[in-house]
Amino acid sequence: MRALGLAGMVVCASASLAAQGVMVAPHAVFIDHAQRSGSVLLYNPGTEPVEVTISTIFGYPTTDSTGGIKLDTLAADSSVSALPWIQAFPRRLTVGPRERQTIRLLARPPVELPPGEYWLRLVIAAQAGRVPISGVSDTTAIQVGLKLEVRTIIGVNYRKGPVTTGLSLSNLRAQVVGDSVITRAKLERRGNAAFIGMVRETITDSTGAVRAQRVGDSLVTSYQSPIGVYFTMEPRLATAIAAPGLRRGRYWLRYEVVAEREDLDPRVVLKAPAVRDSVQLVVP
Amino acid sequence: MKREAWVVMGAMLLGVPLLAQGKPLTVTGVRGVTFGAVLPGVPRVVLRTDPANSGQFDIKGPKGGPVLLSFVLPLTMTGPAGALMPIMFGASDAGFSATQSIGSQVGFDPRQPTTVIFPSNGNVSVFVGATANPGTNQRAGAYTGTIILTVTYL
Repeated sequence: MRALGLAGMVVCASASLAAQGVMVAPHAVFIDHAQRSGSVLLYNPGTEPVEVTISTIFGYPTTDSTGGIKLDTLAADSSVSALPWIQAFPRRLTVGPRERQTIRLLARPPVELPPGEYWLRLVIAAQAGRVPISGVSDTTAIQVGLKLEVRTIIGVNYRKGPVTTGLSLSNLRAQVVGDSVITRAKLERRGNAAFIGMVRETITDSTGAVRAQRVGDSLVTSYQSPIGVYFTMEPRLATAIAAPGLRRGRYWLRYEVVAEREDLDPRVVLKAPAVRDSVQLVVP
Repeated sequence: MKREAWVVMGAMLLGVPLLAQGKPLTVTGVRGVTFGAVLPGVPRVVLRTDPANSGQFDIKGPKGGPVLLSFVLPLTMTGPAGALMPIMFGASDAGFSATQSIGSQVGFDPRQPTTVIFPSNGNVSVFVGATANPGTNQRAGAYTGTIILTVTYL
């Protein structure tokens, strides 16, 4: 059933893709030490060949001083980097129209590698969206255009032996700014593997009744944001309060982080106890 | 059933780990930013809401999946005999649409990374505008540069 679902999705995608790009599957790679290899499928749904360049970098998501998510590519802790010993090949290839190619990942870890999780990122760069610049032969005119290139970066997590994860939550704070609730909290990973999960935020009033939040055009009782904590981060989350907003008074924001992700196979999401805290919200 | 569906199903039967670990992620450059003909000394602005001339990327991913969008933006475009033309990107020159509609965008600064989450149908679009600044003595000819969108799955 899941196979048919994916096939159907690809059919739908291909119908709308007249321009250049490449489909990458899966969107996250988990390699077990027993297998020491993995693969990524590239598919070109377009009508022209796509030139693809493959490279690897070390990197993991973290937050900047404002709480924005960024990819830290500095090898601050090289002991968790799989970059020196996982190779991807081929490095350059052309994927023909409606053709697929496979990128192989081969791990040659050091013999004395301790149990744990090791990371790298696979970078898939594709030339895309050629810009037709008309009037080139007219040497008296100035013609200007920008072409596009796309890069897709997916995570590769290599797991050896017993891997565990967990989270500690501290310094939760929240405030109402306009029609939004802004939260920040310090999340520190435990164990020897990344914590991959979800932040859930719920607002209740003084009677304990849940107040709705807005996601796009929908109203939800809890706002959810996926998260990956590789070391320590302090993400800034902004959620919209449903109209007509919160009246003056005191509310509670319940903040919970769970090891669940709807975009990943449950088999690769490591189990860990949920962590939660609450903070008072004052609407003046 | 279309051929690409069979390709994916065949790949799965052959053991390519498509669903074992996740669903596909597709990033497509749909349309470059087109300024057309410009006049020397006259800046040319393309808004991200311009349906014909703005740049467009389409991204498809799994529902609820988080991605970081970051751009590498050119400072100049290169023309005949290496001539350069400055180009600028403002704080609201990029827009994100969870409905893939150019008329329903949330603006963001293309100079800063932005995190987005795939909606239920997994389809989003990113639109880009820019301002070309030809000099008064700008050499005639075709000028071009490259916008790189990096989509990092978090």
